Amino acid sequence: MSEIRLQVNDICKYFGITKALEHVSFNIAKGEVHALIGENGSGKSTLTNSLAGIYQKDSGTFTLDGKEVNPANQVEANNEGISIIVQELGTLDGLTVAENIFLGHEDKFVKCGIKNTNAMNRKATELLKQYGFDRIKAADMIENYNFEDRKLVEIVKATYFKPKILVIDETTTALSGEGREELYKHMNRIREEGDTVIFISHDLPEILRLSDTITVLRDGIYIDTVKSSDIDEEGLKKLMVGREVSGKYYRADYGEEISDEVVMKVENVTVPGLISDISFDLHKGEILGFGGLSESGMHEVGKACFGASFDREGKVTLADGTEINDIPSAISHSIAYTSKDRDNESLVMNQSIRDNICLPSLDELSNKAGLLSDKKLYEFAGIHAKTMSTKMQSVDQFVSNLSGGNKQKVVLARWIGKDSDILVLDSPTRGIDVKVKQDIYQLMDKMRKEGKSIIMISEELMELIGMCDRIIIMKDGRINGELMRDENMDENVLISKMV
Amino acid sequence: MGSQDNAEAAKGVLLKKQSRVNMIRSALPVIGLVAVCIIFNILTDGNMWNSRKLILNQVYVVLISTVGVFFIMSMGGLDFSQGSIMGIASIVVCLLSGVNMFLAVIGGIMAGAAIGAFNGYFYVNRKIKSFIVTICTMFLFRGFIKYMASNSPVAASMKVYDYDTTPVKLGITILVLATGFIVFRFTRFGIDLKAIGAGEKAAKFAGIRTDRVKFLIYVLAGAITGLAAFVNIVKNGSATANAGNQLETQMLIALVLGGMPISGGAKVRFENVIVGSLLYIVLNNGLIMMGLTPQAMQLIQGIIFLIFVAIFADRQSLSVIK
Repeated sequence: MSEIRLQVNDICKYFGITKALEHVSFNIAKGEVHALIGENGSGKSTLTNSLAGIYQKDSGTFTLDGKEVNPANQVEANNEGISIIVQELGTLDGLTVAENIFLGHEDKFVKCGIKNTNAMNRKATELLKQYGFDRIKAADMIENYNFEDRKLVEIVKATYFKPKILVIDETTTALSGEGREELYKHMNRIREEGDTVIFISHDLPEILRLSDTITVLRDGIYIDTVKSSDIDEEGLKKLMVGREVSGKYYRADYGEEISDEVVMKVENVTVPGLISDISFDLHKGEILGFGGLSESGMHEVGKACFGASFDREGKVTLADGTEINDIPSAISHSIAYTSKDRDNESLVMNQSIRDNICLPSLDELSNKAGLLSDKKLYEFAGIHAKTMSTKMQSVDQFVSNLSGGNKQKVVLARWIGKDSDILVLDSPTRGIDVKVKQDIYQLMDKMRKEGKSIIMISEELMELIGMCDRIIIMKDGRINGELMRDENMDENVLISKMV
Repeated sequence: MGSQDNAEAAKGVLLKKQSRVNMIRSALPVIGLVAVCIIFNILTDGNMWNSRKLILNQVYVVLISTVGVFFIMSMGGLDFSQGSIMGIASIVVCLLSGVNMFLAVIGGIMAGAAIGAFNGYFYVNRKIKSFIVTICTMFLFRGFIKYMASNSPVAASMKVYDYDTTPVKLGITILVLATGFIVFRFTRFGIDLKAIGAGEKAAKFAGIRTDRVKFLIYVLAGAITGLAAFVNIVKNGSATANAGNQLETQMLIALVLGGMPISGGAKVRFENVIVGSLLYIVLNNGLIMMGLTPQAMQLIQGIIFLIFVAIFADRQSLSVIK
């Protein structure tokens, strides 16, 4: 048995009343790539973010090489030998490449309170060269580089000081083949030097190929730690979901014909800087998927269909010829939208469940004189919250206190109440536990059978493959391919069109 | 299973604690009003009760005009130009009162609505924060008022004194309050306002025409204050260069004393207007009757204001004053 590098000991973390991590304990050895897997919302990122000082854990300890560490921020974590490459963009606009690399460690270049920019740039250039990223110039502003190059800068930033533990959180999906190879190379180098990599990814084949040990989390609870050589993909899935993953999880049917009836026509839609020249038809009773990298513009497509885009060109037309140009007309013509940014765009956080569910339907709920009765609002909200089996004290409760899954249920209850025929669902299962996910998939299947049409935008390829009749893949703001529902569809086909 | 139960229990305790805090928050202004009335009556040997008519006479203008500001603050905005709106509208009422009394009322309302539209245009269309816009218009229109009324106050026609009766003033006040209550509590407009206050972006995505509502609310608040200007002139007979001076602060204090969270949103109650305005006027008069100097009064007002803001501030959404 190799030496223990990090002991994760009884870690708990709560967000309000949501339990993100509950009494999680396990060990990570020296000189290994240790993968952390689990469904969305299982607590992987919360755990590593707590380790790297981005969040503060509520209880428990991290013991690194026999010494307890409790970093208050990322710089302190760096000093302890822990570094992290985060899921989102981890570099700051307005700074140069060199300033980003040495963010929080500028002291090394400061003499008598004055920063020696030249020395910093020299050192950064040296590092970039060493890593083989010559085309990135140390003195350039970081925003001159694209997402992928910025991720490469982050790799340098996170590894140049030879950390004892490097956390890589969902970084590979953002990188193309070349960038991935680059990252794998550095992961291997770190392992061979006897240090440790904690690797988070949704890509199970990638995990099995790269990691030595795999720890599985589910709904914030530690499930198991296994050797990569002792398990296969099916076994991992079973551990992640907690039971045999059958066809019931997603839709089971294949080979159904899509109706010819077009309910929404999107023609040459362009939103400057985000999407260009997007055209597609949405058919009655189909689930149309949109996949791509987060920056591919697919999220903006959803907004454009809902009339929520700023500065949109092109046309979104319904079957009866109505053009959709703003949100109120989209809603009154039976279009529903759930945003990826649930807390800001879908829900009024500091407001009751009742008002949140009733908001789009207020016109229908008011009487002839335009007056609303409390009783009617309560009934309406109560019925639809119950249909979605929302866990709550009463409909008077503020939505800010609900868990992610229950929040999404409130959003969906709102549109069920409105009885919308076209649903644009952006990341409907983002950060939601398996149980609620399944509810949402079943709801979507039911709606589809009722003849409602759904646009599903998702970063999770598996759910696109499992749920959609057609999948449109976006890349750099354009449509880069379309795939029909197929039992044997492979994630890699989608990925190859995404990057 | 044990940890789950614990978490459920913790959640219950948390919610209970929240509802207790909310109860205290909503009860405090009423308790405060009763307490202040009793205290000042004792301190002034019942003088306050004897001069209740005089005190009530001051409350009408504040009560009416606060309804508009209440709407603005519900959706998370502020309006510092209310005092200047009152001044301009008062001058308009005075000038038109010689022609026709009905025209004077309409003129006051129109003048207020026009300034409100001016505020709304810069706030909504030019996307400038409401408190910056209204501070600018406060100075702008205060300048107009000084120009119009500096040499001598603008006097109204003597006919206005015919309307200086309790039924007229109280009638207008009750009408405005009742309409305001119904609109706020039982129409879509009221729910939309609160939703914008609690989260504008989400409100927009729920289909509320937020820009239209925001513009309208400033026009409406201006119009209501324009109506209050008529009551003001009926009471005073002329508009001086100081007409409506510091009215905006009085309203703000009144609303906060009434338990209004300064960032608006879902915790807003219409009772805030009534309790707050009464509390403010009683407090003010009580301090005057105690023989305090204006300087000392301002000091005490400042302290009380600060305490109430600290109690009622909704810290979760405080960053969103628009």
